[in-house]
Amino acid sequence: MTDTKEKKKDVLLKVRDLRIEGYSDEKWIEIVHGVNLTLHRGEVLGLIGESGAGKSTIGLAAMGFARDGCRISGGTVEFDGMELTTTPKSDLRALRGLRIAYVAQSAAASFNPAHKIINQHTEAPVQYRIQKRLQAQEDAMELYEKLRLPNPTEIGFRYPHQVSGGQLQRAMTAMAMACRPDLIIFDEPTTALDVTTQIEVLAAIRDIVDEYNTAAIYITHDLAVVAQMADRIKVLLKGEEVETADTDTMLSSPQEDYTKSLWAVRSFQRPQRSRPKGDVVPVISVQHVDASYTSGEKVLDDVSFDIYEGMTVAVVGESGSGKSTTARCITGLLPPSAGKILFRGEELPADYHNRTKDQLRQAQMIYQMADTALNPKVKISEIIGRPAQFYGKLRGAALKSRVDELLDLIELEPAKFYNRYPPELSGGQKQRIGIARALAAEPSFIICDEVTSALDQLVAEGILKLLDRLQKELNLAYMFITHDLATVRSIADEVVVMRRGKIVEQGPKDEMFTPPHHPYTDLLLSSVPEMDSNWLTTLLEERGVDNVGEAANAK
Amino acid sequence: MNYFVIGFYALLIGSSCLAAYYQKRSLFLLLFTLTLVCFLMGIIGGQPALWFVTVLAGIIALAAGTSYAWREFLVLTLPRDMSRALKTAPLTASFGLFVIFIYAVMGIFAPVIAPHGEAEVISSAFAPADANMLLGADQLGRDVFSRIVYGARNTVGLALAATILAFFIGAIAGLFAAVRKGWLDQIMGRGADVIMSVPSLIFALLMLSIFGTSMLVIVVIVAIIYSPRVYRLTRAVAGNVVVMDYIEAASLRGEGTGYLIRKEILPNSTAPLIAEFGLEFCFVFLLIAGLSFLGLGIQPPTADWGSMVRENATLISFGDVTPLIPAGAIALLTVAVNFVVDWMLFRASGLKE
Repeated sequence: MTDTKEKKKDVLLKVRDLRIEGYSDEKWIEIVHGVNLTLHRGEVLGLIGESGAGKSTIGLAAMGFARDGCRISGGTVEFDGMELTTTPKSDLRALRGLRIAYVAQSAAASFNPAHKIINQHTEAPVQYRIQKRLQAQEDAMELYEKLRLPNPTEIGFRYPHQVSGGQLQRAMTAMAMACRPDLIIFDEPTTALDVTTQIEVLAAIRDIVDEYNTAAIYITHDLAVVAQMADRIKVLLKGEEVETADTDTMLSSPQEDYTKSLWAVRSFQRPQRSRPKGDVVPVISVQHVDASYTSGEKVLDDVSFDIYEGMTVAVVGESGSGKSTTARCITGLLPPSAGKILFRGEELPADYHNRTKDQLRQAQMIYQMADTALNPKVKISEIIGRPAQFYGKLRGAALKSRVDELLDLIELEPAKFYNRYPPELSGGQKQRIGIARALAAEPSFIICDEVTSALDQLVAEGILKLLDRLQKELNLAYMFITHDLATVRSIADEVVVMRRGKIVEQGPKDEMFTPPHHPYTDLLLSSVPEMDSNWLTTLLEERGVDNVGEAANAK
Repeated sequence: MNYFVIGFYALLIGSSCLAAYYQKRSLFLLLFTLTLVCFLMGIIGGQPALWFVTVLAGIIALAAGTSYAWREFLVLTLPRDMSRALKTAPLTASFGLFVIFIYAVMGIFAPVIAPHGEAEVISSAFAPADANMLLGADQLGRDVFSRIVYGARNTVGLALAATILAFFIGAIAGLFAAVRKGWLDQIMGRGADVIMSVPSLIFALLMLSIFGTSMLVIVVIVAIIYSPRVYRLTRAVAGNVVVMDYIEAASLRGEGTGYLIRKEILPNSTAPLIAEFGLEFCFVFLLIAGLSFLGLGIQPPTADWGSMVRENATLISFGDVTPLIPAGAIALLTVAVNFVVDWMLFRASGLKE
């Protein structure tokens, strides 16, 4: 990015002592405590921090915008000589889209499903009378080509649901580029994508921002990603700045303790266990399972693997590879069309309705989204107590002491959490409650469906450590569904790689992480961003720009 | 020109100037528009028109003051959770609550409040109001005020019973359909469609002429007519809840339908259901009043607002307001309930301005 350094001239965005307040419990509480930020033309600034650190709020404030229930209470936001905090709303509206654009986390949720992509793309240029409709469409196709979307002349005429997630995210970046803004704010644009697709989007964003000398604020919680994208990185914690430095300086020598802890998060690793010797029956044995949803195509094709007591089997693959469907087959939510599932050598009925209470108790599940996995209107004590009451027939004092014991087990103080409701808890605490609910049934096997992917790295590490401790204490078997290979590396004993409903490769972790791999495993492994600011560049050179993501996957 | 007219305009102009000075834009626009309109009204209607405006403003101010005081009273007396919710309630909601409260008191303590019995003939037909009869007499010489008070008990009580029954039927069916899905859902859905496809008033008239017009029959028929709407709403709301992971977790635990409905789904769908309850109550109330007006609802001599309007309708051509009083009572309750429902919907949806 030597080119940008020459182009970099004047200051584009200058934020001084920015304070933002949020409204909760009938009070205004300060959530951003005086943040400073300077952005030059053509520069990419990475904002990083855990959720609740105020990254997105600051990003939006850079557009002079405060979310519902928030207000900018102090400080200045100066964009190209214009003070945004005092500008009337109508002038701000004219600025947004034209000179400042925003790319949201979930493109699927941000596109209007009822209009074609290109019509949504051309809306801004036509509205601002920069281009006529046809002109804008041609321009859109050109941008699509630059962003390496397949069939650039045709793809815009599809509806959002007709293209894949990674393509949609690139289409959204193209849309943000439509008016050639001076500043784009990327709010976690790749968080919801698979690793293989993520590369493609990252490369596309980086190229186009570079080409048009656009300044960008890149918000993310993934350090490795921000290392690829940003010229400078700013670390935030609870609405305050921790430190700012050039990307390379930040990576090689972080100053503050908090930053160092962020950098060290991925260090957790647990000794690998191997299968018990001799003639031991696995806890769960999946044998030649086929499955499909309502007479459609097969989503699972001849899937078999075993999970032994006290071991963790990680099932890896991108979205749509059939990981979660396998879990649904094991729990009995989706009866397989062929094959069987054995529990300690005994065949389980295909449909969970036909399973006995004890069979249901043995296999528990922990969900990805703790928000939807816990009933918001039920007290914690009841959420955890219900399985104990239901399976163990515990009542009164015995039930209460069991709930206390479980809360102790997941390292939450019983007295403090007993009477609270899920919405009052943080993401990590909710996930812990989800774990406690699974443990309350005293199972021998737990399915963890992407349990850490919605959490920040520090919190996720805490959850992984907890799961590991529980496994040792209670001799549990885990089936760990994930697309995050760092998690696999830290917690798995065996790895199953899935792709399009089939098992590509399986075996002990150490074998799986040492070459030679199956080409697909190789693709997955090499697609995980590394903490090296040249990683993406090197990778693109190795593979060639047209040979990443979906393109590589198709081969 | 007398002092009243001069004072009237001076007050309006003075307050608009004050509003303009303190930069209250919307208030200024309102006041000054009112001033201009009043100029016009003064020219056309003379002093009586200005009196009308003054009285109207007085009534609105009185209502606003009452609502404010009522809200503060409720905030201070009610338990903590409810008073917190009420603190942010708009004045309209507080006004609605106040009216509902008054009606409830009127209905519950009707025999104590009403000076005469509901069927008691105490004077000549259509006697004007006097110290004994606050609102005059009706076509048979019964006290209109007493009948209004008893009417609150009969009409509102009947509507409440019918709405509760409709909710009971509709909500249980809706929740059941959402959990069970499949053919049961289909059958119930089509059944609801059939009931909804018949115009409600005609359906009610037909059923009432078949089964007679006892209170019980009215309640059951009205409940059946309105339960499909509740069913549809409940099924839609519960349908969104059923797909949540916590429902999946509970069914994988082996919980029965009853537990799922009671503990997992119902607590998450109460807000829209309560709002719908208020709306449905208004419709049911109007339907029952309409049935009474047509002579098929509550039978005389039982006091009822709908039939009171009909019985005194002839007076309208003589310029008397007596038939408008029960009609006004119906209108006031409907508006009041809607105010409260609006506020609840606003809270449930989590909308901000």
